[in-house]
Amino acid sequence: MIEVRGLSMRYGRTLAVDDLTCTVKPGLVTGFLGPNGAGKSTTMRAVLGLEVPASGEALVDGRPYASLRRPMRTMGALLDAGAVHGGRSARDHLGCLARSNGIDRARVTAVLDQVGLTDVAGKRIGGFSLGMKQRLGMAAALLGDPAVLMFDEPLNGLDPEGIRWLRGLLRSLADEGRTVLLSSHLMNEMALTADHVIVIGRGRLIADAAMNALAAHFQGDVLVRTRHPERLTAIMRAHGGTVVAADDGARVARSAALSAALSVRGLDASEIGVLALSQGIALVELTPRAASLEEAFMRLTEDSTEYRSESGTTPKETVR
Amino acid sequence: MIDVIASEWMKLRTLRSNLHVLACSVTAVLACAGIAFMIGRGFDGKTLDEKMAFPGNGDGLGNGIAVAYFVFAVLGALAITSEHSTGMIQTSLVAVPRRRVLLLAKIPGLAAVALVAGQVLAFIMHAASMAALGDRAGQLLREGVTLGTPLSEPGVLASVIVAGLSMAAVALIGLGVGAAVRSTPGALVVLTVLIVVLPVVAKTLPMPLRAQAGSFMIEKLPLQIAGVGGGILPPAAAAGLLVAYVLAALTAGATMITPAGRRIKVLAIGAAAALLVSAVPAAAAGSPGPSPTPAWADCADKTLVKEMRCATIKVPVNWAERSGRSIDLAVGLLPATGAQRRMGTVFAIPGGPGGSGVEDLSKNAGSFTELRDRFDVVSVEPRNTVDKGVLSFDCLFSGPWISLPETPAEYAELGRRNRAAAQRCRSADPEFFDHMDSASVARDMEAIRVALGEEKLSFIANSYGGRPGIEYSRLFPGRVRAMVFDGSVNPYLHGAHNRLAHEKSFTRFAAWCAATTTCALHGQDVGEVWRALVARADRVPVPVRGESPAAAYSGLDIKEAAAPSIISPGEEPGLPRWTELAEAIKRAADGDASGFADYVRQATKSPKVPSSTGMNMTHCLDGLVFRDYEEYRRRRREGERLLPNIAGTELWHPLGCVGWPTSVTNPPGPLPARGLPPYLGVGSWTDFDRSADIVRRVPGSAAVQYQGYGHGLYNAGNSCVIGHVNRYLISLRLPASGTVCPKSGT
Repeated sequence: MIEVRGLSMRYGRTLAVDDLTCTVKPGLVTGFLGPNGAGKSTTMRAVLGLEVPASGEALVDGRPYASLRRPMRTMGALLDAGAVHGGRSARDHLGCLARSNGIDRARVTAVLDQVGLTDVAGKRIGGFSLGMKQRLGMAAALLGDPAVLMFDEPLNGLDPEGIRWLRGLLRSLADEGRTVLLSSHLMNEMALTADHVIVIGRGRLIADAAMNALAAHFQGDVLVRTRHPERLTAIMRAHGGTVVAADDGARVARSAALSAALSVRGLDASEIGVLALSQGIALVELTPRAASLEEAFMRLTEDSTEYRSESGTTPKETVR
Repeated sequence: MIDVIASEWMKLRTLRSNLHVLACSVTAVLACAGIAFMIGRGFDGKTLDEKMAFPGNGDGLGNGIAVAYFVFAVLGALAITSEHSTGMIQTSLVAVPRRRVLLLAKIPGLAAVALVAGQVLAFIMHAASMAALGDRAGQLLREGVTLGTPLSEPGVLASVIVAGLSMAAVALIGLGVGAAVRSTPGALVVLTVLIVVLPVVAKTLPMPLRAQAGSFMIEKLPLQIAGVGGGILPPAAAAGLLVAYVLAALTAGATMITPAGRRIKVLAIGAAAALLVSAVPAAAAGSPGPSPTPAWADCADKTLVKEMRCATIKVPVNWAERSGRSIDLAVGLLPATGAQRRMGTVFAIPGGPGGSGVEDLSKNAGSFTELRDRFDVVSVEPRNTVDKGVLSFDCLFSGPWISLPETPAEYAELGRRNRAAAQRCRSADPEFFDHMDSASVARDMEAIRVALGEEKLSFIANSYGGRPGIEYSRLFPGRVRAMVFDGSVNPYLHGAHNRLAHEKSFTRFAAWCAATTTCALHGQDVGEVWRALVARADRVPVPVRGESPAAAYSGLDIKEAAAPSIISPGEEPGLPRWTELAEAIKRAADGDASGFADYVRQATKSPKVPSSTGMNMTHCLDGLVFRDYEEYRRRRREGERLLPNIAGTELWHPLGCVGWPTSVTNPPGPLPARGLPPYLGVGSWTDFDRSADIVRRVPGSAAVQYQGYGHGLYNAGNSCVIGHVNRYLISLRLPASGTVCPKSGT
């Protein structure tokens, strides 16, 4: 279990995390979502004691991470797969980490096998691809057989097969009753991976909900194409629909060149069809659309888009 | 903590690049060997004196130690900066969130590697230096050390081991700097400044500052810890400083690795520890500086060398009545230059008796240059200096002519003459005149020691200065740190036994004449000519042209006039004084002694050598006397047996004391059987035996003979003698028995 209570992080005058409170529970894969620069990495670094909070605290199984005597046995983390010395072999790298936490040397072999790096265990890390480094980072996180796992953008650099493998791994870890937190800035990715999501933007908590509840919360719309948008819009609005112009881009067929696309919410496709028939308006297209999580995410974090443009100033790697 | 240390050790040994860094230390060995080789090349083909003036290469590590330090410092810095540059530090901190633990855990492994590698490297560097110097390493230098110092020399094994240890210390300094700077290039810059730039800058400073600043450089600390030079710090202070450097660097590292906001505490604790470690030994060692109670000032006498400082000290005329009348003695000081840790004071006891040590020290200041790296050198214008102004200079400078008494009546007549001459001087101040003995001079020296605030003194006793040296050894044995007898008079050898070397010198003169066409007597048997001359002169004195008949030369007068020339032939290759002597003999054989009178007059203002009252006033109190006419006869017979060519010269000084108004107050006495440190005797062909005989009486002592002519070899600047004496005075090490100094210029 990871508990974040009233956490605020500050870089100079910039408030990177603003009074964030949330709990990551065991037995679930929890996605930690937010646009780049929303404060995800900063929060994770605070959890690991790499940054000192301006206020608030982050606890791992009820204790600050930095106070754990052998922290890797309680919590495994992967922040940056590149944070390794390229001169060591994968086995030596893991060996050093295992030794520092009093972890049995046999675990090194076990996790190398678990992440599929056994064949290259003796090779220098410097020659590894990003994906291999991600696997190595996962191996390091798993080394202490911890009950809590936390990964920052673990899917980066993985090929489709790797992504599938990782999803399976995360799922099985959660099924074993472990706490699994992974961050991402891509909602679609989370949709297939996470049971629960915590969304932040500009350092603030935006949503903390089960994935399916979130999906239900954001319904879909209906795409309507007609040559008489004004009349159709008026009648749909009169019947409680919310109508906005839809951007359907390149999908416009030559035959529909004079038509306009509308996005309608509040009315389903059959209701729209009946309304159009009643008014004698021909529909060129009538398509119900499910809400994509990506869109839901975008809408959730619209407020934080300004922040996104400032994100370049947020230090990520520096250890202070 | 143990887990983290083990982990850090694994980190260190699993990086092959660390091995590559260590391998770079071979450049330090190359630097040592290369520079030693160049020194050796420069050494060959130089004259002996030029070789002696070379600066010592010591244990040989100095030439490469900066390189070695750099390698170890980089090894230490990389232990942390490579984590920063690769990002590994983040992974490490996740594994070990206690940051200072992470930093400190790097110490044991790094220190262990650096200790082992540092020791191996230090010994290889030493061996390479010594090998490149080869046999030349054993060459003793003026500064009192050999060109290269092997491990068997005292302190060298320690200095090599400490140099190895210091490499481990430097590795930790590198670690601290690396942790503080967090970047490999930044750390390299800081370490370059610390290890390379600062020592170079220190070397450009003007002199006392250069030595002071240089002493604090890491590379100079091993020598100072081992106590074999390198700077002005005592061993404990140097060791404390080395530890303090490590603590300071690690404190900087620990401070910077600690999250901002909690750094002050770390900084305060580390800084306090570093200060404590460096200050406590320094304070405990105390300031070794002199507490010069005498008010040193510029010397009034402007003919003295500029760097000489002068003071006066009051001593009682009669040491048995200290509250009585006192006189002022002028004391001269050539201060230590501050190039090395000051070890104490060397007292140069002047000869004579009555020579001014202050003038001698000024005149021979160049001989003391190397010694002054570590010692103050003082001397005194002793109470028995003839131009002190208390007694008339003229009466003390001159004296009666001496003839060999053939009967008790003639002996008594000589006594009356001597007494009259002595009284002429003594009457002006009898109390003063009667306390000119060497024991009083020795007590004056003790008063100077007390005034200087020195626990002990080291001495170079020159010529007659040997007598006050012996008296000081008898009176104050516990105050003698070291004593050198350089051509010293020997009160334990009687009469002719003191002159055997002079007789040998006459034989050399004769041989030289036989072999040298420029000798006026070339082609004749010089011995026969000489013996015939003095025998005839004893019957009929040889007149001096233009002088009264009283100035005519007896055989003894000729011998006494010739004696200084016999034992000092002058500079090679001309040997001007032997050339002059041969001419004087030739002229005297032809009936005119003015060849002798000419140069005797220059020195004494008298056509014949007078028995100097000024010297006698010390000789006669010091027991250089005949008990009675019978003893005189016995000594004379002995001299005639042992000294075929110069018999009678050995009687000269005691004859001057016949009839002396004051009896012997300071007869020769034995040196104490215990309590004295081993002494060193040095001397030339003509005065070695006397010095050697004195030091033979002090257990553990040694003597070095210079195989050439001269008297007062240290003062004269004889490099080989200076080397042996300096080594003895600095390290109390004596040369092996039978050590000789080859003739200069060969």
